Amino acid sequence: MICGVKFCGGCNPRYDRGEAFKKIKEHFTHRVDFVIAEEGKTYDFLLIIGGCTNCCASYKQYNWKTEVIKMWDEKHLPEVIEKIERIISN
Amino acid sequence: MALKTEAQYIESLRKLNTKVYLMGEKIDNWVDHPMIRPSIDCVAMTHKLAEDPQYTDLMTTKSHLTGKTINRFTHIHQSTDDLIKKVKMLRLLGQKTASCFQRCVGMDAFNAVYSTTFEIDEKYGTEYHKRFKKYLEFVQENDLVVDGAMTDPKGDRGLPPHKQADKDMFMHVVEKRADGIVVRGSKAHQTGCINSQEHLIMPTMAMGEDDKEYAISFSIESDAEGIFMIYGRQSCDTRKMEDPDSIDVGNPKYGGQEALVVFDDVFIPNERVFMCEEYEFATMMVERFAGYHRESYGGCKVGVGDVVIGAAALAAEYNGAQKASHIKDKLIEMTHLNETLYCCGIACSAEGWKTKAGNYQIDLLLANVCKQNVTRFPYEIVRLAEDIAGGLMVTMPSHKDFHSTVKAGKGDKTIGDWCNKYFAGNANVSTEDRMKVLRFLENICLGAAAVGYRTESMHGAGSPQAQRIMISRQGNTEMKKGLAKDIIGIKK
Repeated sequence: MICGVKFCGGCNPRYDRGEAFKKIKEHFTHRVDFVIAEEGKTYDFLLIIGGCTNCCASYKQYNWKTEVIKMWDEKHLPEVIEKIERIISN
Repeated sequence: MALKTEAQYIESLRKLNTKVYLMGEKIDNWVDHPMIRPSIDCVAMTHKLAEDPQYTDLMTTKSHLTGKTINRFTHIHQSTDDLIKKVKMLRLLGQKTASCFQRCVGMDAFNAVYSTTFEIDEKYGTEYHKRFKKYLEFVQENDLVVDGAMTDPKGDRGLPPHKQADKDMFMHVVEKRADGIVVRGSKAHQTGCINSQEHLIMPTMAMGEDDKEYAISFSIESDAEGIFMIYGRQSCDTRKMEDPDSIDVGNPKYGGQEALVVFDDVFIPNERVFMCEEYEFATMMVERFAGYHRESYGGCKVGVGDVVIGAAALAAEYNGAQKASHIKDKLIEMTHLNETLYCCGIACSAEGWKTKAGNYQIDLLLANVCKQNVTRFPYEIVRLAEDIAGGLMVTMPSHKDFHSTVKAGKGDKTIGDWCNKYFAGNANVSTEDRMKVLRFLENICLGAAAVGYRTESMHGAGSPQAQRIMISRQGNTEMKKGLAKDIIGIKK
């Protein structure tokens, strides 16, 4: 399973986006390949990591099969993990 | 190559034959000069972040000319979203460098020249816009850093260009040839000019018919024959010449740069000329550039302000004063002022409009309000930072004293021992870390970086009075008088 990842530009992030991404990757080691999203490729799902409530990262240029998961707060981590678990189990 | 790496950018500067003079001497290896290098590393950050996935959404975009991924600093804004992302990108770079990263003038010049050349061509059937698009493609393809140069020395401010005793006080055409023009003059206070591979020249102000030889816009390589640059001094700049590991420099990594760029009869080929004597369009180019550049300050100075706030909070913590209510309140005030500037930058971008050429221009009134606030708020922010930091910021001994092994006093203690003993604060923090924060604040409040955070906030993109004139023109007072009349029943 491949997840396309897109960060917002990080102008004023309220948490460490890189650290949050690291935790998600570690949780799904050997189960999901997380790669920085590129145009022209298709991903099973997209993970958008915003730094604030605006979560302004552009992502509509990418292709995905199931859904787009967005986070903009460290507190979203459990919810994001739960959503990815659901995608894997389906 | 649509994107240059940090290393490729620095290497590209080495290949140029840019003529640089500093403190009365010609500097051949200016890339490695300790007074210049921090400003180069600062520009290099615009390349470095463009390679990092955590920042690419702001730092890169698609060229509307070629469809290729380009650095946003070479982009022509295609929407209000582009304008907003520009402000966010500038804030990000201010946060990462705590300095002026110099590249926004080029971006703002591209957008002003792009739309103005379209409208000159519409009136006169010239081909400036076509030429400029070709030039822009070259800039985007090579990810070039371009100095957008507007400010002439201006001589006697009470006289227009054609009445100056010395005609060279404004950049002007001295010869017209079949294949191009020869120009003479200079551009003052040019931010990042030495660190730029190219220059994009614009007229400095509105021009009348008598001044048409001064109404010129063109691009030229930084090392073209006849161009040389005289480096501008900054307060405390020679600290950069001391031990590179010295904390006395304040910001050990980054800095800004300004210089006088002299054009001593420089030939400009026709394909690089974007305005020549169409004097009635000088105002449009100047206003559009100034508008974009006044928007820019709502991003870059906010990013630097973020670092100042962070440093002030650290200073309070290292002094052991972080729990004092007045300290907390001062940090709130600093944040309030800083975010107000950001609000203005975002607002003038969100209210942007489409020009005839198709690119987006900021709202002129809101951009001028933004910059007018920038001429004030950073001064209050640094006043509060100095208040929080305490007097030690400007009275502490040097880095060398803190590391001195010279014995002093009655026992075996060294100068270093005495300094570390008496300048200790919070027991959980080393004296050196405390000194680093204070030196950093000194640097930004009244040292070399104050050029970028204070005086550049005052005069960069136009001095305060320039914004007040624009605010007066754009203020829509007649409509507002009508509002009052309607409500209180005055019919005439």
